[in-house]
Amino acid sequence: MNFRLRSPIPWFKIMKITFSQILIAVVLSSFAYATPVRAQNILDKPVNISLNNTTLLDVVNYLQKKNGIKFIYSKNTVDMAQKVNANFKEQPLKVVLDELFKNNGIDYEVLQDRIVLGKLPAGELRANTDASPGDKANRAAEAIIAVTGKVIDAQGLPIPGATVTEKGTTNGVLTDVNGAFKLNVASQNSVLVVSIVGYKKQEVAVGGNTSFTVTLLDEVTGMNEVVVVGYGVQKKSVTTGSISGVSAKDFANQSVVNIAQILQGRTSGLTITTNDGQPGDGATVRVRGITTFNNNDPLWVVDGVVVDNGGIGYLNEQDIESIEVLKDAASAAIYGTRAAAGVILVTTKKGKAGRTQINYSGYFGTSAPARKLDLLNATEYATLRNESLAAAGKPILFSDPAALGTGTDWQSYIFNNSAKEQDHELSVSGGTEKSTYYTSFGYLSQDGIVATPISKYNRINFRTNETFKPSKYVNFGDNIGYTYNKSIGLGNTNSVFGGPLSSAINLDPITPAVVTDLTAASAAPYTTPNVVRNAQGYPYGISQYVGQEITNPLAYIQTRLGNYSWAHNIVGNAYAAVDPIPGLEIKSTVGTKMAFYGDESFTPLYYLNSSTVSSQNNYNRDDTRLFNWNLENTASYTHTYGKHNLNVLLGEGAYVDNGGYSVGVTEYGLPVTNFNDASLNYSVPAVQRIGYGGEGQPHHISSLFARLNYDYGEKYIIQGVVRRDGSSRFGENHKYGTFPSVSLGWVPTKEAFWPQNDVVDFLKIRGGYGVVGNDALPDNAFLSTIGGGRNYSFGTGDTYISGYSPNAPSNPDLKWEQTAQTNVGIDAVIFHDFNLTVEWYKKKTTGILQQVNIPYYVGAITNPYANVGDMENTGQELSLSYHKKIGDVTFSADGNVSHLKNTVTRLAPGQLYLDGAGVQNIQGGVTRSQVGYPINSFYGYENLGVFQTQAQIDSYVSSTGQKIQPNAQPGDFKWADLNGDGKIDDNDRKFIGSSVPTWQYGLTLTAAYKGFDMLIFGQGEGGNKIFQGLHRLDILTANYTTAALNRWTGPGTSTTWPRLTDNDANYNFEYNSSFYLQSGTYFRIKTMQLGYTLKKDWAKKIGLQNLRVYLTGQNLITFTKYTGYDPDISGSIDQGFYPQARTYIVGLNVGF
Amino acid sequence: MKKSLKYLAAFAAVAIAGVACKKSFLTVTPKGTNLESAYYTDQTEAFNGLVAVYDIMSYQSGGLITKEDAADAGCDDHVAGGGGASDVTDLQVFNNYTLNESQGPSAALWQGGFQGVFRANVLLAKLPGVPMDARLKAQYADESTALRAYYYFDLVRWFKNIPLIVTEIPASEIDNVLQVPPSAVYTQIENDLKSVISNGNIPDQVNITTDGGRLTMGAVHALLGKIYLYDKKYTLAASELAIVNGTPGQMNSKYGYQLLPNFADLWKTNNKYNSESILEADHSSKSGGDWGCIACTEGNVLDIMVGPRGYVAETAAAPDYVSGYSFIPFTQEFFNFIHNDPRNFATVANLDSLKAAGIADYTPGYDNTGFFLNKFAGHVADKTTGGGAPELNYPQNIYEFRLADTYLMEAEALIMGGGDQNRAAALMTAVHSRAYNDGKSHPLQATMAVLKNERRAELAGEGHRWFDLVRWGDAPAVLGYKGFKAGRNEILPIPLNDLNATKIKQSKEYGGTI
Repeated sequence: MNFRLRSPIPWFKIMKITFSQILIAVVLSSFAYATPVRAQNILDKPVNISLNNTTLLDVVNYLQKKNGIKFIYSKNTVDMAQKVNANFKEQPLKVVLDELFKNNGIDYEVLQDRIVLGKLPAGELRANTDASPGDKANRAAEAIIAVTGKVIDAQGLPIPGATVTEKGTTNGVLTDVNGAFKLNVASQNSVLVVSIVGYKKQEVAVGGNTSFTVTLLDEVTGMNEVVVVGYGVQKKSVTTGSISGVSAKDFANQSVVNIAQILQGRTSGLTITTNDGQPGDGATVRVRGITTFNNNDPLWVVDGVVVDNGGIGYLNEQDIESIEVLKDAASAAIYGTRAAAGVILVTTKKGKAGRTQINYSGYFGTSAPARKLDLLNATEYATLRNESLAAAGKPILFSDPAALGTGTDWQSYIFNNSAKEQDHELSVSGGTEKSTYYTSFGYLSQDGIVATPISKYNRINFRTNETFKPSKYVNFGDNIGYTYNKSIGLGNTNSVFGGPLSSAINLDPITPAVVTDLTAASAAPYTTPNVVRNAQGYPYGISQYVGQEITNPLAYIQTRLGNYSWAHNIVGNAYAAVDPIPGLEIKSTVGTKMAFYGDESFTPLYYLNSSTVSSQNNYNRDDTRLFNWNLENTASYTHTYGKHNLNVLLGEGAYVDNGGYSVGVTEYGLPVTNFNDASLNYSVPAVQRIGYGGEGQPHHISSLFARLNYDYGEKYIIQGVVRRDGSSRFGENHKYGTFPSVSLGWVPTKEAFWPQNDVVDFLKIRGGYGVVGNDALPDNAFLSTIGGGRNYSFGTGDTYISGYSPNAPSNPDLKWEQTAQTNVGIDAVIFHDFNLTVEWYKKKTTGILQQVNIPYYVGAITNPYANVGDMENTGQELSLSYHKKIGDVTFSADGNVSHLKNTVTRLAPGQLYLDGAGVQNIQGGVTRSQVGYPINSFYGYENLGVFQTQAQIDSYVSSTGQKIQPNAQPGDFKWADLNGDGKIDDNDRKFIGSSVPTWQYGLTLTAAYKGFDMLIFGQGEGGNKIFQGLHRLDILTANYTTAALNRWTGPGTSTTWPRLTDNDANYNFEYNSSFYLQSGTYFRIKTMQLGYTLKKDWAKKIGLQNLRVYLTGQNLITFTKYTGYDPDISGSIDQGFYPQARTYIVGLNVGF
Repeated sequence: MKKSLKYLAAFAAVAIAGVACKKSFLTVTPKGTNLESAYYTDQTEAFNGLVAVYDIMSYQSGGLITKEDAADAGCDDHVAGGGGASDVTDLQVFNNYTLNESQGPSAALWQGGFQGVFRANVLLAKLPGVPMDARLKAQYADESTALRAYYYFDLVRWFKNIPLIVTEIPASEIDNVLQVPPSAVYTQIENDLKSVISNGNIPDQVNITTDGGRLTMGAVHALLGKIYLYDKKYTLAASELAIVNGTPGQMNSKYGYQLLPNFADLWKTNNKYNSESILEADHSSKSGGDWGCIACTEGNVLDIMVGPRGYVAETAAAPDYVSGYSFIPFTQEFFNFIHNDPRNFATVANLDSLKAAGIADYTPGYDNTGFFLNKFAGHVADKTTGGGAPELNYPQNIYEFRLADTYLMEAEALIMGGGDQNRAAALMTAVHSRAYNDGKSHPLQATMAVLKNERRAELAGEGHRWFDLVRWGDAPAVLGYKGFKAGRNEILPIPLNDLNATKIKQSKEYGGTI
């Protein structure tokens, strides 16, 4: 289930959402109280009609067309599909209406010059034919029973703005801010109909009561819900674009600490991969694939403020009311320029009119690694090292491997099986009809599962928003969020070049973690200055086998203690709006993002091994200040005329980002030994004090935009959007870009011809096409600029002079990168309880801005930018949800699955491919992007198995009879000679797998019985390969996983794992091949939760509004064939990703 | 309604204000970046442009390729070494002659050279319009011209078939540039240098404290002499180099050149611009270079590259080498050659010997021989006290020309051109005797065989040997064991990047058509 209404919502907002309905209601109810209008002149109008075996609808259409008689009716209350014969000649309209409608249970009234159709009250059928219809309007005045009541939701909160009508009449009122209503009804037989968008309509018989409490249940069919679109909201039933959403209740109480985790698996069309499991670190979000070689991060818009990507981490997930992802161009075009990678709209929680609500929610949790690698123990390690040495003809190193026992389990030293986390959130909200407020305060603290002393995250956040409506015509408000966070990080993840993870994987298990043997501890290398020691003074073990950056992780931790980075983020906006005439709102919003961030680190003197030495301490602090702002003015006009619903939006905006600067200083040789004592106040010689700084080049965008939404009876829907943006990143030739889109929708279930059935309750077919843009290129790229840093050293002073020269040839013709997207989809409600959305899209990006490789002989230091690349994505998405309540049991299932295919369709002239990622010691990189293939596909050799015997090597010959792999030995890989030239070289490579997941899927199951509720959420991705590069290749002595125990050791022992040798002349390990690539497909039971909510009256007894306790398990089971820590990684090259933790939390929600 | 009109008016005002500043709003002045059209307006900016031309003298690519390490890796005195078979692949494939258009040092050397040419062309085009001291302007122009000749000389001897670009190329013509015969390049650069000499704007000597590293007239003569030597104009080469060399073994008072008495002093970092130095590629330890941009540092990367891997000093007497990456170690064959030469200790760091004596330990790298390039191995004493990655900030300069080299080149020109054989012998003897530094003369005969050995011993590891072997025609015989093929490996292949979508053709030697 993707689209939910927040319940309840402020009444004034509903005014906008369901304006058309409420307008009708207000008009009709005022009419009901007003002096009746006699409109005999219309009813006396003579009409001619001759239609046989026709429907009432056709009759209405006929009269409308031929005689200009306008009808107003609701399809829900009158049955217009009834078959009738209509043959009248020069008869007054009244006769026709009485004959055709009254006799078929349909009442009518005249309102101004229109005929309003409604259901004839029970018992009145044909009984009152001689009373003129207009007379019935008097019944309101003659009402004999005054009823009062209150409309509340399932949580007992009042619902303002609900419509209460007397059934079969136009007599009705709206509930006030407290949900209360007062209505005069005709008799005890009257029935009250209570309705509001987002809830199931309810009917209550008046009977002998005069006071009612009506509880409305959430509407589950979904189509009446509203979704946030750019600059407004829309009923889901009339959306024509592709929008996925998540609302607060979908992720409440689930220990999600970043917004991408919320979206992962809960929205179709999004590929979300975790950057790493380090607390506070984010994820990579891709909306419908990768559309450019440049920045593919979607545009994040929080309460209307564009927040630069990467800066979204400041947001506390508990403050989020809903998230909507605008996936197709038709939806995203309203954000024109920067919408090419999709737009994600975040709406934060707001206060509601009514009593003050105080809510606390919090949890405590404990985390452990979900998986550990099986690494060789000391005996196995020594055995395999001996074998590898012997195979290279070298003397063996370990005479008695068995004597070494199991040795050191490095992983056990870096993993924390009980990493703590806690989160607390307190919010206060409330308000009146004139103003509302919401304030929250949150605190989060999370310890990492790897090397916890240097892996922690803390966040404090504060949010406040207010709305004011001092007069009927004016409202204004503000919305401000502040966050401070402090991250302590490993400093080195997903790298085979050291860091605790890589070291734990690659260090030999023979070296002790701590050297407690005094003889050994007083010999080399422990006599070297600055060897790192533990609190007891024992040195941490230094490997004599594995060197370079692979160091004792415990010692490494000591060298980084205290280092942290910090950030203050303030994101807010203020707006004012006037509503001078009904339906028109003119609004001005000013928003800003201010950020202050930096880090502080101290590097002490240390000796971790002979090549990882710090011989001069240093202390670094840096600060960045960022100030972005934007200003938007919009005018929105909504008008309903009969069944014509129209909304027009006009807007202009000015945006400035990248307006920051940073300064930093590094001081070398401080007279201290640790972080806590380090200070910039120590005076060090100027040459040991390196200061640096930089400034952002402000990026300006100025925009004009317009949107038209029109629907006819929510049956035929059209939306058009156009946005014209100007960017400071382009020259005069192409400063402005225009981005149009159009989308259409049709709801055949509203057609008269649609047969009444119990299968399809609602069906909407929609499609759209639009173009969005991207100006993601460095500033000034269109200008010919002079660059510095072409320095040279003159003289004997050991110093240098700054030189300047032109950078790159300018390209004044640079223009917008464009992404055109066609989207076709259906939304359906079937069997009443199933909501189905199916979509297909095709996205084509043209003119991708790229640096073109110009010839080196031009002599430029950098390459100029040009619009040279094209890329295509096609995909299909399916979401299906089922919600059912049977007795006390409610059950729901929400599933989605998406598939996408990416193809690079054009590169710069002469550019055969773009190099992707490389891996140390793998020859020629491991991925590349080439026309006809997905971006960054794995590229390597075809591995035909392992040569078992020399005879097989000898018989592997080319067409000329030459041995193709003359240097191979039994146990080596057999490589395919793809180009048939009789030798194996880099021309024998091909594409061997996708690095980008092509499938995403998610499933949420919930069930509730009385106070108990449970939830199971699973998600996964697939279709991609992961390069399992955990083993450091250039260090022959690096440890292996136990997979190496299955290596080839003689004929018939292995066909997949080659022999081990220190002399790998066959490049078994240096060629990229299927040996390294593993399926990245996985399905993960991400969340299981069990909760209990105290009965309302019990809660009240202890002075609470509500109380819920819950227990959650996160990341419980992962189904995958991948052998690394975690298949959920961004980039698909695993060189020691920080794995995600398995977490158990216990939490509490209390409402006061 | 009246009230709402008031608000409406206020809003209209805000909206209009927003629109009003629109035009200028999208024109953002580049911050801290000069536009080319607004640069080169005074003497300082012209000088900054000149510094950028000099910058390429010490070009080091992001992939750790320098002119010296590449030429060393290709020659018989060294193997590529490093940490593994694919550690700096571009060097490995030159070492085993599997280089091609996409792998090897070609891209870096071609790119670096043309960057120098481009910067010189830009400055030469801009200088006439710069309001500044006329004498200095003329000097800057001549320095740019001479440096451009220097870059072209390297390009033509590395690649043979190169485009000759002496003005800025219009953007529309970028892909239409053609190659010229090597003779056209030689003609251009010989004429350029001759006119620089006749202009007389470049000083004979500079104040080394402030201007050491700038071109002097002696350096221009040395360059022209060397170009003549490669162009087989032996008489012209000898006479040009004689201007630099003066009387063998004595100070050339015009330029202040004289052989240093002690060979080992040449490699001391506090001895920059000594009397033997004619032109140096300069380095500094103070630029704070780091791994984010190897090509940006002003430090000398050779110091860390050639140092012994995993070096540990075990006694106080041990040399203070920095633990390096064990690139381009000397071969056993070279060690045998130089073992009994007095230049042995200054040239070769014999780590196995130190290890055997218990003085120091190290970790053998790839293709280890135990013999490291002592001339450039970094020393702890030279480690930067400034910022940046210490590995990338060694201040050691590299000689482009030193007097011993020009002595031997003149001797070669005399022998090859049938010139004054006595002078040739005197020049060679001066170099050889200096090696001993024992006050005695150690005479050498003026034959090519002797000269070849002397050049090999004197200039080992300085990036000359490969060019010498190719120039002498000895490369196929000497380098055949590495995979060198006659008629192919005398030049480097033109890098793939410049063959794509251009009119540049690959040399015939590498399967091309030119």
